[in-house]
Amino acid sequence: MATSVVLQKIVKAYGEVQVVHGVDLTIEPGEFTVFVGPSGCGKSTLLRMIAGLEPITGGDLIIDGQRLNDVPAAKRGIAMVFQSYALYPHMSVYQNLAFGLETAKLPKAEIAVRVQRAAEILRIEPLLQRKPKQLSGGQRQRVAIGRAIVREPKIFLFDEPLSNLDAELRVQMRVEIAKLHNDLGNTMIYVTHDQVEAMTMADKIVVLRAGVIEQAGPPLELYNNPRNIFVAGFIGSPKMNFLKANIEGSDATSTRLATSTDVFTLPRPTSGAAGSAATLGVRPEHITITPGSGLKLADVRVDLVENLGGQTLLYTTAADGQTLTIMLEGQLQVELGSTVTAHIDPARLHIFNAEGNAI
Amino acid sequence: MTIEPMRLTVVTETNSAKRLRKRIFSVVAHVLLISASIVMLYPLLWMLSASFRPENEIFNATSLWPSSWSLDAYFRGWNGLRVSFGTFFINSFIISILSVIGNVAACSMAAFAFARLEFRGRRFWFAMMLMTLMLPYQVTLIPQYVLFLNLGWVNTTLPLVVPKFLAADAFFIFLMVQFFRGIPKELDEAAVMDGCSPWRVYWKIMLPLSTPVLATAAIFTFIWTWDDFFGPLIYLSDMRQYTVMLGLRSFTDSTGLSDYGGLFAMSVLSLVPIFLFFLFFQRLLIEGIATTGMKR
Ligand SMILES: Nc1ncnc2c1ncn2[C@@H]1O[C@H](COP(=O)(O)OP(=O)(O)OP(=O)(O)O)[C@@H](O)[C@H]1O
Ligand SMILES: [Mg+2]
Repeated sequence: MATSVVLQKIVKAYGEVQVVHGVDLTIEPGEFTVFVGPSGCGKSTLLRMIAGLEPITGGDLIIDGQRLNDVPAAKRGIAMVFQSYALYPHMSVYQNLAFGLETAKLPKAEIAVRVQRAAEILRIEPLLQRKPKQLSGGQRQRVAIGRAIVREPKIFLFDEPLSNLDAELRVQMRVEIAKLHNDLGNTMIYVTHDQVEAMTMADKIVVLRAGVIEQAGPPLELYNNPRNIFVAGFIGSPKMNFLKANIEGSDATSTRLATSTDVFTLPRPTSGAAGSAATLGVRPEHITITPGSGLKLADVRVDLVENLGGQTLLYTTAADGQTLTIMLEGQLQVELGSTVTAHIDPARLHIFNAEGNAI
Repeated sequence: MTIEPMRLTVVTETNSAKRLRKRIFSVVAHVLLISASIVMLYPLLWMLSASFRPENEIFNATSLWPSSWSLDAYFRGWNGLRVSFGTFFINSFIISILSVIGNVAACSMAAFAFARLEFRGRRFWFAMMLMTLMLPYQVTLIPQYVLFLNLGWVNTTLPLVVPKFLAADAFFIFLMVQFFRGIPKELDEAAVMDGCSPWRVYWKIMLPLSTPVLATAAIFTFIWTWDDFFGPLIYLSDMRQYTVMLGLRSFTDSTGLSDYGGLFAMSVLSLVPIFLFFLFFQRLLIEGIATTGMKR
């Protein structure tokens, strides 16, 4: 029932400038896919090519087994929710919802039923006669989603739909969109800057950088096994710590590593050559300061403490000047300027070679 | 402690000085503005009073206030020519209303194409269109006349009306392109996702959001067409086709014995439609501006 989307070697160029460089991606029917990546990496461009708002320069867009490159936007069975909502300012909420159905020449009675149903789902029934400018941000967002729902599209596209909302409303709408996905079961593609949104909503996260996919997979797969430093740094909050290290040597069962202050042995092999430079990746939440709980990473000085209530964040500096963020469970009293020893479970240590790829 | 009161008096002194300067400025400004508006309004008032005076008083009256009021000139003027002034008014109305419809419809379509559609040579054609803005009327007059002569349209109202339906007025196209560019592109895109053709986007999204600029175009087209003297003078020769402006001129020509009272009376009447048209459409101007504040 739900729809699959396949991108094959998709390329986009504006004149001479190529901004999307051959993207291959398969989105399973009913999957909630999230595109993340830094500003300007091509998320919106990719989404707009799928929508049909932007011509595809090269490659194939295949939806439900059919090549849709040259099918106009209106005929693709796709609905899109814009960042600015793009509600028609001169129409009431009802008219905004009904507009697409009127364009499709549906009978009036059918339109009324569908609008009513969408309004119930989104709890905007009391607002139907209002104009967009008489709505709050969250209500406008609901109407924008409602406009997508009434058309009963095969695929929903969202381009940063929550970025204009305040933090609280954002969390609330995030839950509602996730619920909507569960109820409707449609294929949805969602663009965001916010990696919490990505982690919590996605069946599949696609990390983009400069027009190429760095890694695509389930959120936890990306969290646990980032393919390179970029993905490792992008997924997870607070950001993963990176420490310079050298590979002293490695054999079938272990790897010997040297940081500027310590030397330790990792109980797993790596593909890095002896003597080559490497980067260690350590997530703040995987570091402990209890002696004896894993490998000793470094002795660090505490520069700043943030008590979040549930967790405590320590911002620290090692003897060689590298910074390390540590996230500890619970509420801890740590003296500023004191020295703590960072420990890490070796299974949770990420190692990247000089090219930035995980080894 | 002792310094406090002193400082206070200093402050109040400068305050009153400031207030005085403000008042003087205000008086001077008002005197200037009022005298300027008298200069502007005087001819109009003079004409108005002349239209109600006895004929012999028009050019040797000392006061703006007529010694006696009469509507004589209006009756004389209305029927003073071979053709009744009513005919001129009807002609003017037909030409002006058709021009307004043509200009608003055609220019907005052309502007929509320039602002939103992708087509080959769009920049080139836009530049060409802007260039026609720089050509003075007099330069195109003769080629245009020859063209309409060959079409057999001279002595008809067609040359005055048909070009308006062909988006010949670059000024309004430019005005509308600027306005359309200010409407968020995402609205069009949302409409496209909702299944709209470009035509439907234009009709259902762009036009309703553009009332201010459409009203502006309507007002100016009406005024300029209504007041146009040159165009009708060149293309119309049969008095039954005359517009109001040509009719007014007819009071003074040929005989040399002019009916000035009638002329002024009809001049006053000729202002009424413009005034009413402006009054009506100016409301749209304000309404439009009020409803475009859309996002946030
Ligand atoms: N119409 C255009 N003409 C030329 N270049 C464009 C155009 N639209 C986008 N680009 C370029 O394409 C690249 C990708 O843009 P895109 O809008 O897809 O980024 P994004 O990932 O959505 O960024 P953001 O997170 O800021 O929304 C950018 O480098 C941008 O400058
Ligand atoms: Mg974007």
